[in-house]
Amino acid sequence: MSRKAFFRAGWVLMTLAAVGVALLWMTVGGARRIFLIGETTAAHHQIELACESCHTAPVFAAAATAEQALNKACRNCHEDELAEADDSHPRKMFRNPRMAVYWDKLDARLCTTCHAEHRPEITRKGAVTVAADFCRACHSEGDQDVRTDRPSHAGLAFDTCASAGCHNYHDNRALYADFLAKHANQPWLTAAPIHTLSARQRTPAPAGETALERSDALAPVAALTDPTALDQWTGSGHAAAGVNCAGCHAPEVAPDAPVAEVEARWIAAPPLTVCRGCHKAEANTFARGRHGMRQHPMIAPPRDAAKTAIGTVLPETIVRWLADAPHPTRMTVREARLPMRAAAAHKVLDCGTCHQPHAVDVGQAAVKACVTCHDDPHSQAYVGSPHHVLWQAEQSGAAAPGTGVSCATCHMLKSERRGVIATSHHQNDGLRPNTKMIRPVCLDCHGLGFAINALADSGLVARNFRGRLAVHVQSIDWAVRHAASETENTGR
Amino acid sequence: MLTFTEELVLLLNDEDGVPLLIRPDIAACALAGAVLMDLAFDYRIDTDLDALVVHDQTPTGNAVLDRLLAKIAVRAEVCNTKMWIGVLSTEEAPAVHEEVLARLVERSVLTVRTGRIPWLESRRYLCGDGETAQKIRQRIATVLYSHDIPDARDVALISLLDACEILPEILPTQELADLRPRITLLRKMDLIGREVAAAIADIERSIIQAVRDRAARFRKLLLFLSAVAGSAAGATFVLPRVPVADSFGAALRMHLWFDSGWQLWTGYALLALASAGILAVVLMKVRRIARFGGHNWWRLAHAGLGVACVLALFVHTGFRLGANLNAALMVCFLAVLILGGIAGVCNNAAGELRRMGVPPRVRIIPMRLHTVALWPLPALVIIHVLAVYLY
Repeated sequence: MSRKAFFRAGWVLMTLAAVGVALLWMTVGGARRIFLIGETTAAHHQIELACESCHTAPVFAAAATAEQALNKACRNCHEDELAEADDSHPRKMFRNPRMAVYWDKLDARLCTTCHAEHRPEITRKGAVTVAADFCRACHSEGDQDVRTDRPSHAGLAFDTCASAGCHNYHDNRALYADFLAKHANQPWLTAAPIHTLSARQRTPAPAGETALERSDALAPVAALTDPTALDQWTGSGHAAAGVNCAGCHAPEVAPDAPVAEVEARWIAAPPLTVCRGCHKAEANTFARGRHGMRQHPMIAPPRDAAKTAIGTVLPETIVRWLADAPHPTRMTVREARLPMRAAAAHKVLDCGTCHQPHAVDVGQAAVKACVTCHDDPHSQAYVGSPHHVLWQAEQSGAAAPGTGVSCATCHMLKSERRGVIATSHHQNDGLRPNTKMIRPVCLDCHGLGFAINALADSGLVARNFRGRLAVHVQSIDWAVRHAASETENTGR
Repeated sequence: MLTFTEELVLLLNDEDGVPLLIRPDIAACALAGAVLMDLAFDYRIDTDLDALVVHDQTPTGNAVLDRLLAKIAVRAEVCNTKMWIGVLSTEEAPAVHEEVLARLVERSVLTVRTGRIPWLESRRYLCGDGETAQKIRQRIATVLYSHDIPDARDVALISLLDACEILPEILPTQELADLRPRITLLRKMDLIGREVAAAIADIERSIIQAVRDRAARFRKLLLFLSAVAGSAAGATFVLPRVPVADSFGAALRMHLWFDSGWQLWTGYALLALASAGILAVVLMKVRRIARFGGHNWWRLAHAGLGVACVLALFVHTGFRLGANLNAALMVCFLAVLILGGIAGVCNNAAGELRRMGVPPRVRIIPMRLHTVALWPLPALVIIHVLAVYLY
């Protein structure tokens, strides 16, 4: 073999080997970070290596099939949220053949039309990857031309639709015209500024029949020698609700089991599954937010190389080498894209990171846990802010329950269903965009106009609402004028 | 006694058996000319303005010359010297080179040194007696530096080397400039019989013409294309990227660089152009194909496709480097284009670089790096295409 032939053969063999290894990594198992075409958005970066969570189409599927599968994956995780938000532009609206004329302009049947992943250069706020004036696609011509329908909108640029605090594409529950008109002229602060659901939640309930006392603690003798833990448990919600030490530390054991059995099956640090056993709603919502999204049930597990068609014929050593590394199930503070305190970088997010299971101090999870990690201007400005002063007053007992405003008050949205108040642990639910907080949080204490203006004032938000408003969103004024003209027209 | 062709082949390598940095098509011209000169000195061929004719078909005893003499003799079509140089340089030069090397090895003038890996044939031809090639160089030097009346064959050899621009690779550039009047004088000397002298002069003229034609053909265009391709690819690292469109609508740049459908087709166009560029080089080295159009046309096609690749790369990526595997692919592609551009400039401005004192070993570096940078490209392209279809 000549030198040239040797090198040519070597080139071909090395090319084939490199392609073969890459193909195995793509289809069987192994490192796949190198195939990422760009930085993943903050929404998905934690799960970027669980590729099959989104890329669900079969191998070498047609482009249309792959696109449909990708969009189905979006809906798998986000459809419920959109339904809860009473989506203003639901997919079903655009699937109507009468809307076909818009498909070429902006195909709103597909999530990926506006939210393409791994495209950092064109990714804007809210993971939107189309230009800010995208409303122009459908609302600049014919019947849909908002500028002719609404005199107030004549001359407005399309890039202000969503940026001026007036409209959201999906969630307009606090921004639609009738709602604005109805809540116009409200004072900036209500007569009784109390967050009702928080007030009800924080009002101590009378001790029930099932409430446990210190002497009822069911735990190994060694565990009972920790007076701090015992004291904390005695005054905790767990004890009040009749949850004994063994309920979490020996969940497999019957409530009336002897101490010896409890000792035998005692778990020093109960896993998340134990918390989830009782706090299903909290665990489910936790998995929908950034803090716990790695536990979302729709996240694809690591590929089992041995079970793939190619894996079955490959030697075990290669299959072992190809095996996907286990996906991390919890986020570390170090991975956050927001500014975080360096001292908290090592923290791993699960229930115990924010909640001290033995402690009664609700302020720990509502404020302290947040500011221990978060180091952005808004978080830094919280301490000493008007909301914090109210929170301190409530904590000290000087003010009534529900008057204080903690981090959790605004960012852990509360809802009531069948008399039960649930706290959503999807902590960024109200931030996409922030006007989602208006109805469940802000309006309990503030007028709609003030709330809209305050949330549109990025400087005020950064200062955690310390200081004066510098932004006035005209939407309420226009809605009131529009309602008046409608009434006038009806009268005629 | 060695023939012209054999002496030329010996001079085409340096003392270590490493080939001199001479364009393959020019070396082929020199070999064709040397063969014709050998036949002319042996009174086998004669030339006039219109034709090169065989007037004695008696074998010379040299297998290489006899084979080519027979080829010239059987050709029914009338061809002049220039045409024969064209035919022999494209069809016969590589074979003549191999055959002459084999003859020299057989006669122990050269020895073959094989590569270090036993089963891998990497051959290097070294002077077996350590003297023959050195003696030829000394003979040339003696003729050039003395004022004695030289041997006619030495003058013819010097003329051939000068015509094919091989002398600059043998002699220092500065000395060559000083020797220019002597070389001109030597070429005018009437040292041989009129008939042979006319034939040799015709062959020299034809070679000079052929070499000049080949060297000059598309030289400026090739230089321009190489410079454009290299600098345009290099500009990627300097120029700011084309900004993203701020308004919604049919912005071409948004379609080109962020619409997967458009990117698919521009990607395939880029792949086709890059493949054609590589194919042009491969075909240029296939003798039977290379004679269609000639070496320079294939070089022009290669350079043109290089420029087209830069444009297609811009259309496909907007010169965005991308991330991870895509970044590796982009860097590799740009390296191939930049180094190719530099290699093209070095190749087509060889004379200028020689005069500037850039040694051949330095001039060849961009070409070698261009080839090395090409190695990972096919693997990266295939993986990139597979990743697009799989994700």
